[in-house]
Amino acid sequence: MSGGEGSDLEDYPSIRDRDSEDEESGSSENEGELYTSRNDGLAIDHGNEEESDSSGLHEAVEESDSSEDEVAPRNTIGAVPLEWYRDEKHIGYDLTGKKIKKKEREDKLQSFLASADDSKNWRKFLDEYNDEEVEVTKEDMKTINRLLEGKAPHGDFDPYAPYVDWFKWDDSKHPLSNAPEPKRRFIPSKSESKLVKRLVLAIRKGLIKPTKDEEEEEESVYPLWGDDSNSTEKDGSHLSYIPAPKPKLPGYEESFNPPPEFIPTQEEIDAYQLMYEEDRPKFIPKRFTSMRSIPAYENAIKECFERCLDLYLCPRVRKKRINIDPESLKPKLPSRKDLKPYPVKCYLEYRGHKDTVTSVSTEASGQWIASGSSDGTVRIWEVETGRCLKLWEIGEAVTYVAWNPNPEYSVLAVSVLCLQWNGIVEETTFQRWCQQISFLVSKYHICSLSLSLSLISLTHFFCMIQLVISLHFLDLALRQSKSIFMHRLSQKSTQTFSIKLGGLAVTSVFHPVRSHIFISTKKTIRQYDLVKGKQIRKLDTGLKEISSIAAHPSGDHVIVGSREGKFCWFDMDLSTKKPYLIRQWHKKDINNVSIHRLYPLFATCSDDCAVQVSHGMVYSDLNQNPLIVPLEILRGHASSDGRGVMDCKFHPRQPWLFTAGADSVIRLYCD
Amino acid sequence: MVKKKHYRPAGKKKEGNAARFVTRSQAVKQLQVNLPLFRKLCILKGIFPREPKKKVKGNHHTYYHLKDVSFIQHEPLLGKMRDIRAYEKKVKKAEAKKNRDRAIILRQRRSTYKLDKVILQRYPKFIDALRDLDDCLTMVHLFAALPAIEDRIDVKRIHNCRRMSHEWQAFISRTHKLRKVFVSVKGIYYQAEVKGQLITWLTPHPLQQVLTDDVDFNIMLNFLEFYEALLAFVNCHLYRSINVKYPPILDPRLEAFAAELYALSRYFDASSRSSVLDPQVSSLPGSSKVDESELRLAQLQYQLPANEPGALMGLVENVPGEDEEDNDTMMCKELFKDMKFFLNREVNRESLLFVIPAFGGIVSWKGDGAPFEEDDNSITHQIVDRPLQHELCEGRKYVQPQWVYDCVNAKKILPTRDYLAGRELPPHLSPFVDPKEEGYVPDYALKIEQWKASEILPLPDVGKEDLEDPQNFADLEKAKEAAKNDKKLKALQKEYFDGLKVELNGVPPSSSISKTDNQISAKATEDREESDPDYEQIAKDKEELELLTISKKKRGLYEAMKKGKKRKHDNVEVIKERKRKLKESQKSRDG
Repeated sequence: MSGGEGSDLEDYPSIRDRDSEDEESGSSENEGELYTSRNDGLAIDHGNEEESDSSGLHEAVEESDSSEDEVAPRNTIGAVPLEWYRDEKHIGYDLTGKKIKKKEREDKLQSFLASADDSKNWRKFLDEYNDEEVEVTKEDMKTINRLLEGKAPHGDFDPYAPYVDWFKWDDSKHPLSNAPEPKRRFIPSKSESKLVKRLVLAIRKGLIKPTKDEEEEEESVYPLWGDDSNSTEKDGSHLSYIPAPKPKLPGYEESFNPPPEFIPTQEEIDAYQLMYEEDRPKFIPKRFTSMRSIPAYENAIKECFERCLDLYLCPRVRKKRINIDPESLKPKLPSRKDLKPYPVKCYLEYRGHKDTVTSVSTEASGQWIASGSSDGTVRIWEVETGRCLKLWEIGEAVTYVAWNPNPEYSVLAVSVLCLQWNGIVEETTFQRWCQQISFLVSKYHICSLSLSLSLISLTHFFCMIQLVISLHFLDLALRQSKSIFMHRLSQKSTQTFSIKLGGLAVTSVFHPVRSHIFISTKKTIRQYDLVKGKQIRKLDTGLKEISSIAAHPSGDHVIVGSREGKFCWFDMDLSTKKPYLIRQWHKKDINNVSIHRLYPLFATCSDDCAVQVSHGMVYSDLNQNPLIVPLEILRGHASSDGRGVMDCKFHPRQPWLFTAGADSVIRLYCD
Repeated sequence: MVKKKHYRPAGKKKEGNAARFVTRSQAVKQLQVNLPLFRKLCILKGIFPREPKKKVKGNHHTYYHLKDVSFIQHEPLLGKMRDIRAYEKKVKKAEAKKNRDRAIILRQRRSTYKLDKVILQRYPKFIDALRDLDDCLTMVHLFAALPAIEDRIDVKRIHNCRRMSHEWQAFISRTHKLRKVFVSVKGIYYQAEVKGQLITWLTPHPLQQVLTDDVDFNIMLNFLEFYEALLAFVNCHLYRSINVKYPPILDPRLEAFAAELYALSRYFDASSRSSVLDPQVSSLPGSSKVDESELRLAQLQYQLPANEPGALMGLVENVPGEDEEDNDTMMCKELFKDMKFFLNREVNRESLLFVIPAFGGIVSWKGDGAPFEEDDNSITHQIVDRPLQHELCEGRKYVQPQWVYDCVNAKKILPTRDYLAGRELPPHLSPFVDPKEEGYVPDYALKIEQWKASEILPLPDVGKEDLEDPQNFADLEKAKEAAKNDKKLKALQKEYFDGLKVELNGVPPSSSISKTDNQISAKATEDREESDPDYEQIAKDKEELELLTISKKKRGLYEAMKKGKKRKHDNVEVIKERKRKLKESQKSRDG
């Protein structure tokens, strides 16, 4: 249609121009009149209101009406930032040039109360420019609302008024354009039919669905669990569900009004600051006098969030919480009174050495003890009196002394760090001291001795398998080259065993009954048959560094002490390589272990200045495990240079214990 | 040097922990989802990481069981989520092409998903759901108190939370299942017993909550989504179990006054009455719209006697199924029987409106829609939380709200003297503490115990000496007991040390060294003198010796137990010390 009119207009441009100009001017005039009349009406309205409400609150409204010329603002400062007047007492100047003073502002509470009391308060606002409160009238509100809705501002305006055609001219019956109708007006639109087709197809396929009603969603809650009786079947295909632990229930201290003793004092609260972050109590109890005064808890959301994180991020493991008396965890052991006698108390001290006593040894009869010290002396003491009978100056630090266990021949072997010296004492009496015999040891050996701390082990077994030897005294030196030297005193010869050790030898002990020897490297112990010259058994201790070894008189049990303070008990009857038990009873290195030849006792001495005496009962019944009961911790030695008790030996017949300390004292403990 | 990998022949499957557990990133990869979606699915399905015995990939990974992962993989929700994601892309595309109409239409037709199957899978029995309801209730109650935040928390959800929390409370209150209430600084803890399950939840104080930025609201909203669905089903089940239709239709007038709880109780009231009148209605729950209108009608009918307060809040009707009620419930029901409460404006109305009817009381409040006014003569207690400002009414007690909670926890009407308006309140004690476990019982707990035991409460009009009396009595008794314990302990200690002495001194050296007896004994005495004061060391050694015999594993346990006990003991000691000091300072002030 419009196209048609356009063509008409092209045909009669002159007429259109003239007419339209006329009409336009006329219409604009009319509109202008309308406007003015409307404005007048408004003005009159306002005038009336101003009369009734003399405070002149409505100036601002007119000012906001974008027609600023109508009513001048009270303030004449112009469009300057109001901050400039922030510190002044006046807000600006009126028309006559007088200062306009600032009014006193209501404080927040007052304004809040006013808002609560006055229902019209929401219509009031502050005109900062003129420093006055302005109230919007109901009519103004209506206008504003209409503007917000996009309607004409005045309520009386009718957008749907009957159409008045102001453009009337004589030739209006002629069409504006005389062009023939185009064809496209008569044929159906292709694109539209395409669209319709597409929509129809989509509806048929179900791609387009009618919008859902919201009520349908409301029906989504239904009784999910039927009767509980029929839902007993269990689904076994899933993993076990571990329910989350319930949050901890609050105690007295979380109360809003806890008992006064639960509230920490100020000093205590200050002391919390010195604590580590994790030790610090997270919640400090506080008292509120009434429920009304409890504030909102500031960590509520955070704690809830943390709980959420715990629920979905923490691995859950079922853990058994046992609620028992801790005392019941201790194993039932025979009482110590029944296991008497055992060394309990220090009765004698043998003083005389100037430096660390490194080793003690008891004579087979039990009347004498020998001791070697790092001050380079070897002493013989009488056990019962504590008298020093004999003193040898050797000149080198003595590492080891040992009596011949055979009571017939009193021979004492002494090993020093770089030189080997052997004193042999014949006869049971101490009147005649024998000549000193020293072995021929090559330089190479000595060198290695100093490196590997050569040790001496004594036994009397050799008399049984060897020929008749008057002095059956063996000295065993271990070397870095992983071979064993056996020194035969009777023949004054040295024999070498080539045995595969698999490491540096540390210490060794002869089997008390058979012609075997236990040799320990740092971590393992090997048992060799010396006659056949082959390995019988290899034992894994599981320790880091073995320091000492002792064999039970039966030969079926071996105790091994280590530098980490642990000792382990091997039962040879067991087929395993593993120890029967490992215990850590010392805090520092175990220096020596010792087993009593008659009583079921063994002792371990350590650098923590304590000697642990234990009951170690061995049964002939193979089914019964050895019974091991710690009996007594013997203290008394003082620590020197970080070393504690260097050696301990049992009396051959009595349940007494000799200990050699780094504090250069030898002690005797009796039962 | 690169460590050689463990060789596994080709074609041989993984075994053990390597086969059973996968790390989180592996799981995400396997599921072909992004991490937020994986998290959401974990939350919805209730899947949590596990702790494999051997962590094949390293210690710093979280491990999921492969079965759990495949459990997610077979979840129809996963496909649904993928569809939704694709759909969102469609909307985005329409928007990017400025095709607004299409975007609007698409947005309207956004598909949703339901969680009912998931809930049923997670909780095959109703009781399982109840067992896990603690966190759900706490969270829903928290969100009911939160303000809506644009782009983060929708107003609709908050309203939903609020509605459901009220529904839950209404049920608990109506069936008198509430057991314990504890007002803490964090909020109010409630404990209810439903079907033998103790359910504890925390509601925040009705104040503006502090919103923090260091919280990922997406995760909380995921949880909330599940919890909302769960609580809706639980509520539905519970409501059906007492023959009330769910969802309830509330009186819009009361709802407008923010008294939903009361509205709900009214709804219960109405529906139970209607069920009495017309059993068919309740026996066919939710069958048709007719039901609803009838219910509505009944409800409206019973709104008529609303001015008649006794008839209104007296909810002690014979609801079917009340015979099964156990003793506890009966006791709870009777606690505030024949008592009428009026809440002042400043008290926590929501909490008390929940608690008092749960224990059989009748309650009203100051404000619109209240069942009876303040000037009602039959009111026995008025709950006040500030010093009294106007003249008192005759025949009623003005008590502070703590009295209600303390009565509830003691299951006994306590004397109101200490709780009268304006008085300094006695301590509010947690009902969740086991005094034996804690090792310390506050004085007031003893006092309450005594009241409970004596059955005869001190009359409120008796003089002050009487009030002090139980306290004194308790103190005396306690002191006596303590003294007795002390004496016993001392005696034991002495005996022990004597025993030690005897053991040390009395054992004579054996006969073998008799000949040098003199010398040795001389030495020995010296030694003894040296080591005489070392009893403690010896005692310690003895203890140590006992310890040595325990195996390593058990020793760790033993020591941990000892440590725990010691810590507890220390805490109690600190509290006792504080108490002593407080008493001293009080004495000095008095004197």
